[in-house]
Amino acid sequence: MLIVEDLHAGYGASEVLTGATLSVKKGTLVALIGANGAGKTTTMRAISGGLKPGRGRVVLDGQEVQGLDASRIARLGLAHAPEGRKVFGPLSVEDNLLLGAYSRLPRFFGYRTSARADLDRVYDLFPRLRDRTKQAAGTLSGGEQQMLAIGRALMARPKVMLLDEPSMGLAPVIVQEVFRTIRRLKEEGITLLLVEQFAKSALEVADYAYVMERGRIAVEGTPAELGRDERVLAAYLG
Amino acid sequence: MNPSIIGQMAVSGALMGLVYALIAYGFQLTYATSKSINFGQGELVMVSAFFSLTLTNLGLPYWAMIPGGLLFGAMMGLVVERAGVRLALEQKGEGWILLTIIIGLFFFSAAENLWGRDDRPFPTPISADPIHVVGVDITRLELSVAVGVLAIMGAIELFKRRTLLGKAFEAVSADRDAAELMGISATRTVMLSYGLSGAVAALAGILVSPITTVGPTMASALILKAFSVAVVAGLDSGFGVVLVGMFLGALESLASFYLGSGWREAPGLVLLILALAVRPTGVFGKATIRKV
Repeated sequence: MLIVEDLHAGYGASEVLTGATLSVKKGTLVALIGANGAGKTTTMRAISGGLKPGRGRVVLDGQEVQGLDASRIARLGLAHAPEGRKVFGPLSVEDNLLLGAYSRLPRFFGYRTSARADLDRVYDLFPRLRDRTKQAAGTLSGGEQQMLAIGRALMARPKVMLLDEPSMGLAPVIVQEVFRTIRRLKEEGITLLLVEQFAKSALEVADYAYVMERGRIAVEGTPAELGRDERVLAAYLG
Repeated sequence: MNPSIIGQMAVSGALMGLVYALIAYGFQLTYATSKSINFGQGELVMVSAFFSLTLTNLGLPYWAMIPGGLLFGAMMGLVVERAGVRLALEQKGEGWILLTIIIGLFFFSAAENLWGRDDRPFPTPISADPIHVVGVDITRLELSVAVGVLAIMGAIELFKRRTLLGKAFEAVSADRDAAELMGISATRTVMLSYGLSGAVAALAGILVSPITTVGPTMASALILKAFSVAVVAGLDSGFGVVLVGMFLGALESLASFYLGSGWREAPGLVLLILALAVRPTGVFGKATIRKV
């Protein structure tokens, strides 16, 4: 569903990604782990178009998308719940969710009715959001904002969802809740690429994983295989 | 000082002040999506007014001329965006400041060549007869300014709150990158904001011209006051520009009545200087103020 080949990208003169290669099969959850600064978030941004890759290919559902505008890639079926959540603070919870489905809703009127089923699905997944539909997203707690960011990405009915550091800055009990949610998304058959600093938790839910070091993939394998790799064990799962 | 004259002057002035508010609102629209404003907005008001005058002279009835004028303003807004703003923003630079000023000068020269240097009357079917409202006389013409300004601002605010496209507009103002991830094209949203801003400028021209006449130099007087209003009210509150605009209009009208018409421009300048002195970085953000 998502294939990334020899991806190079960076900021100005400094190249952060030096040839990342990975793939995510339909209906699987793939984790991308690695130390801070290894290039995980840069990989995500280069896939979703926030950063133009200097070299390499990104193939989404059979179509090459590298170099396209982020909005175009999103319309082709990629939903990216970015690092730091990036909810639209001044807008209400429900407006944030509606905007998640922007590319397939009518632009002027009747959009709320068209999105009703998707809204209900997200509210069933995150009942706390249902109680706060009118509240400005910026006033939610960190955990609620993360739920909103995931819900907003779900609204797009994406072919592939990128989840970047969903547990960042959250209290341990909330982190558990986030992982329970990720498990549910997986059970629903959503194709997911997950970047996580909590490597252990990520490997518990993943079908396959890549370990990133200095801008490229150092090791890859199923969680069981990585669990037997002494280098990975020492560096990330200790 | 006769209180009824003060009231009369204040009300008349406040209604005129709504025109400054409308031009300042045009700044807010483009600033929201792109953190840029058109420094040639006054010239946009002026060429749109001239274009509308031409439509009228061609025999178009007043009410049919208005949509034509607005459309022209919107198109000119798009020209400003394409020629003056987009490239500069793609390079994350501040070139748009100089470029929009230059496009304004171009509009000015074009207007002088096409329509001449003289101030010309702008015909309107709305009568200048006063109607009596709680102790003050308001002309229908002044009332039309207020109705026009509040109607277009209300319509745009409703659009932003009630339609999905409007919410996308707000999303781009809140977080451009995140909006792109939702499939919202930031470039198109910026174009939309410049188009709306141009239409708003055109309406300001159409509303004010029957009172002030149309001429190539009408831009400079209007733009300075619109800047004062925008700086004092901030670049995010539509309600704020309406209040400040009316306040400045009333102040001007009183100053010119009691101190002489030469003092008409003074309150706007004083207000601008005060606002910049109290908030030295200004509400435009540091870069803009540094270069103005």
